[in-house]
Amino acid sequence: MNRYLFLFLLVVAVSSCKKESDYIYETTPVTVQQSGAVKNNVKSTTEFISIAYADLFGANISQGQLTKLGNVYASFGDKKVVEDRIILNFLNVPGLQIPATPSINGDTTAFVSKTYKKFYNREPNAFEAYYWKEQIRLNANVSPLVMYYVLMTSDEYRFY
Amino acid sequence: MNRRKFLKTAGIAAAGAIAAPYILPSGRLFAATGARKVNHVVFCLYAGGVRNLESVQMMDGNLMPNLLNGAAPISPDIAGAMDILPASPLSQPLQNYGTLFKQVKYRRGPTGHYNGHTVAVTGQYVDIDLNIRAHPENPTIFELYRKHNSPQKAALNSWWVAQNLGPYPALNFSSHEEYGAAYGANFIAPTWLISQDGYDVLGNPKVFGSNEKAAISNLQQFVNQNFNKSYTDGSAGVVNDNPDAALLQSFISDLYNKAQGGQFLNPWGAGPAMNNDMYNICFAEEIIKQFKPELLVVNMQDVDVGHFNYTSYANNLRKADFAAAHLWNTIQNTPGMANDTVMIIIPEHGRNQFGNTSVDAYGRYALDHTAPVDLISGDQMARDIFCMVVGPVGVVKQGQVINTAMGESSDVVPVIANLLGFDSSIPGYIGVKDYNSCDLKAAFY
Repeated sequence: MNRYLFLFLLVVAVSSCKKESDYIYETTPVTVQQSGAVKNNVKSTTEFISIAYADLFGANISQGQLTKLGNVYASFGDKKVVEDRIILNFLNVPGLQIPATPSINGDTTAFVSKTYKKFYNREPNAFEAYYWKEQIRLNANVSPLVMYYVLMTSDEYRFY
Repeated sequence: MNRRKFLKTAGIAAAGAIAAPYILPSGRLFAATGARKVNHVVFCLYAGGVRNLESVQMMDGNLMPNLLNGAAPISPDIAGAMDILPASPLSQPLQNYGTLFKQVKYRRGPTGHYNGHTVAVTGQYVDIDLNIRAHPENPTIFELYRKHNSPQKAALNSWWVAQNLGPYPALNFSSHEEYGAAYGANFIAPTWLISQDGYDVLGNPKVFGSNEKAAISNLQQFVNQNFNKSYTDGSAGVVNDNPDAALLQSFISDLYNKAQGGQFLNPWGAGPAMNNDMYNICFAEEIIKQFKPELLVVNMQDVDVGHFNYTSYANNLRKADFAAAHLWNTIQNTPGMANDTVMIIIPEHGRNQFGNTSVDAYGRYALDHTAPVDLISGDQMARDIFCMVVGPVGVVKQGQVINTAMGESSDVVPVIANLLGFDSSIPGYIGVKDYNSCDLKAAFY
């Protein structure tokens, strides 16, 4: 009897155990980013000001500063004009976090890529990366400050 | 075809050929002649709610001696509370340079400030309390001007200068699908923009060199070409082209420099009497001197203190009076606008006959403005206003006073359109009153 019981248990144990398979999916890890083509929403005034401040100073804007900026923003009808002026003033405020020019010359491609991700939340396409790299390398007037200003006053920066 | 029939047919065809070009899509006959009476119009909204009893009827004496003839002294009980103001900038009261309508109506709709302003700039009554966060539904005078004036003019030619924020920034263009931001006016609330807060956040811009600017221009073109949308498609407010935007930046910088230099501390010699209305007109004058706009609308609102304090209301009525006269003096001293400008002054609505429960230190009851939609309840005196039209000899009838009931708020837009020569180009279905049915045309030759 014991012999049959032992055989029965052995059969059950062997048939119920199965080695787990390890599946390997051969994909490259990706970071989720937004394509420029699918940015359909215009940032609100508050979003625009808050994001611009955070992009340049690495900190949240104070409520008092946001109120002041919201009021002057409302007090002029051509929003491109007033936004341009807001950015130009930010660029003159102490505490601005902006890379020094030599670091660009060291790795221009990386700088362009990082700047696009910072302001546009996406990688530059090949054409954009090449164009900016050439501009930065060949034109001494295209500083990090200039690139920041250009991207922050562009149409794409106003959308998300 | 016999000879008679041939002649009849040919005659009809010829008449049709002549008339056809003048039948507009609007259904109106005859295209615009483009004949202007003047090349500039300044529309001064003497707003905040002004009651005829204190203005043209001088119940408390002549509180508006810069605008109105008359030497009636201010009522003794409140006279001591009036601030000292400088002497009139004009050699005679303003009414002598044009026509005064003493019984004008804000005919329909609630007598609210935003309703009143909306009627003033669209020429159409609104019978509901408006959504103060939205642009007007009907096109504004700015859009009508910029769309129908021939040739079309840039935004720099039209300005809306508001004394306050709140809903007023929305009045420089409408949400009408055929008009909108593309035809809007430049808007400025100068007492907010040119302030210490404004200077703190906008007064110290980074200045790029000329070589940097050239590079920036190319790079901006590059990045915007690589994006499939334009921020200027409606959501960026009124749009000025790049050269005009640069002029605006320069103008703002100039105002900040003047403010920092103390030029706006006591610009009119009025000392502590200078209120927001006066400052708003002062900045409107800066726009006039800088841009010589063809159409400028500016408002004042400090008389609205009348909800709480009658005597302050009377005091601010005097300040608005001085400011309006100062404005006309500046226009007449600005080459290009002098003798080629019509100025229209009108409150957006009046105030109640009966006071509310607030009593000031002089025992005077404060006044609301509560005429609602039904034209029966509330206090219908809030619909009674005046209007003054001044301008060049030969265009505006000088020294004329109209004491009978003539004119209404919705007359102003067609009058401006007629003065600038584009009234007959406005499609009939827009709903603006026909100029020929406006009583205010009695001001003109």
